[in-house]
Amino acid sequence: MNSILADGSPGKRSSDGERYPALSDRHGWVSYVFIAAGFLALVPILSTHRVTDFMIFCIFALSFDVLYGFMGRLSFGHILYLGTGAYAAGLFIRYVDKNPVAAVLLGVAAAVATGMIIGPIVVRTTGACFALINLAFNQIGFFLVLSPLREFTNGEDGLGVHAAQIGFFNTSSPSVMFWFVFACLLAVFYLLRQLTRSPYGLMVRCINENESRVRFLGYNTFFYKWVTFVIASGVAGLAGTLTTLNYKYVNPNVMDVHSNVGVIFACLIGGAGNLYGALLGGVIYMIISNTLPRYIQSWEMFLGISLLLIVFKFRQGVWGYLGDLWSYYQRKREQGKS
Amino acid sequence: MIYTIMYGFTIGAILYFISIGLSLTFGTMRVINFAHTLIYTLGVYFLVTFMAALNGHIVLSGVLAVLCVIPVSYLIERFVIRKLYGQSVDYTFIATFAISLIGVDLIKRIWGVNPYPLSDPIGTYLTFFDFTFPVYRVLIIGIAIVLFFALEWFFRRSIIGKIVAASLDDEDGVRCLGVNVKRYFSIVFVLGSVLAALGGVLYAPISSIQPYMGHSILLLAFAVVIVGGMGNLRGTFVAAFALGMVMSVTARYWSQGAEVMVFIVMGVVLIFKPLDL
Repeated sequence: MNSILADGSPGKRSSDGERYPALSDRHGWVSYVFIAAGFLALVPILSTHRVTDFMIFCIFALSFDVLYGFMGRLSFGHILYLGTGAYAAGLFIRYVDKNPVAAVLLGVAAAVATGMIIGPIVVRTTGACFALINLAFNQIGFFLVLSPLREFTNGEDGLGVHAAQIGFFNTSSPSVMFWFVFACLLAVFYLLRQLTRSPYGLMVRCINENESRVRFLGYNTFFYKWVTFVIASGVAGLAGTLTTLNYKYVNPNVMDVHSNVGVIFACLIGGAGNLYGALLGGVIYMIISNTLPRYIQSWEMFLGISLLLIVFKFRQGVWGYLGDLWSYYQRKREQGKS
Repeated sequence: MIYTIMYGFTIGAILYFISIGLSLTFGTMRVINFAHTLIYTLGVYFLVTFMAALNGHIVLSGVLAVLCVIPVSYLIERFVIRKLYGQSVDYTFIATFAISLIGVDLIKRIWGVNPYPLSDPIGTYLTFFDFTFPVYRVLIIGIAIVLFFALEWFFRRSIIGKIVAASLDDEDGVRCLGVNVKRYFSIVFVLGSVLAALGGVLYAPISSIQPYMGHSILLLAFAVVIVGGMGNLRGTFVAAFALGMVMSVTARYWSQGAEVMVFIVMGVVLIFKPLDL
């Protein structure tokens, strides 16, 4: 495995287990405790509602990380699937049935279906072309919601969505929503962690490193790329349905093309190719975007300058930086012993 | 219908101006330049400024606006794009996107967010049988066609053009001949930016001017480049006019669907002719 992975250019990521020994598989459960404690610790600092928002964004960042960090495909239109999920859930609650659980399932199914249809077209391309085609599809989706489907989606004004209460699952209570999203986040994290550690995840990384070699070994890379794309869209769709339930409102901004930069920024600043990085990046991005506009007027300028800095100076992201620091510290301690 | 065709040719001509630079920068440097239409927007804003300073002399202020874009695009090439040559496309993509964010913010700071109105500078109409065409649109189409032949000449006959065309084919080979390819790349980059600014200057009087005007047209220009083939100059020419026609014909029957139709055409093209980038 290492021989395939290690021959890439020096800056490439290797698998997390080796690079970040503190959080390798042996201590699996510890990481969940850390994540849970981290989000719970945020609640008293910020409000419950806001932390729920953070966690939804983290789910979205995780889905983007599967696509960008693991498969190496930068999409500039990933928010389309979030929007699809959000609208599917919203329309379902509004016109069909007020059951929130069914709405979540339907939203995820809609996003998965969209990913399945669009996937075969987009995964054949790489690099810039992949980013642009996703962007174009995103634009089409945005347009569809805004204009031809206006009768159902209410155009720019958006839809108010009020789900019914099922048992103790009452979506208008912030604390219930918090625990629901919290459970969703941990479940998504668990699933994606298992997935990226499985042989399938290794295959996806190999495709990222050198696709033609993988194809030469006789694997159908198209299928793997397609499945990954569909998984990423499904998880993004889950984030979308949760957004709808959390805000009780959905408008075309949920699939605005220009919002894509947020998730790209989150993934890069956290450290792409690592699920913890995506979580950390999601939280960092949300904290910055929630607090900074209060103090700095030109938010776009700040985003632009920090993206440039990340690209030139800080490619490994915060998580990668912490990992480097950890290994440096360990090396130092070993030297001290001997 | 004849107006629709006319309109299609105008849009096609503008798309050609803008996408030629994208196509060239991709073909030579393997860089997808998100900041390309920032230059286009900047050209338009320079035009507005010079118009105000020169009492509305449009030709002179247009020329000055296009010239003012040169140092800006050189700086972008020199300090951002050149440092990312040969690296993953994603990084150049993100970096140029970051530049466009910064640029749009600066434009908003300097010129404000309110749209500027500009009217058709010629204003006369050409009557041809029973149809009347604004002379200005005929002029735009004329300039686009002249530009096409000029570029054909440039890449076939002039030494700079030949070097660039050769490095489109085989960059290493050209470098082995002792040519400093990077210098020619920055010439190409500036040339592409100048053409984008020219497109902006020509299009400004018949469109609305606002800081985000580059975003919407960027997607269309990308579609042109993808349909026409990255780095393929003739393909870009044909694709620009074909997609311009698609837009205007769609707009005739379904006015909001014009842009989306372009992306649908792009999707269909990609299904049958996937790019291996």
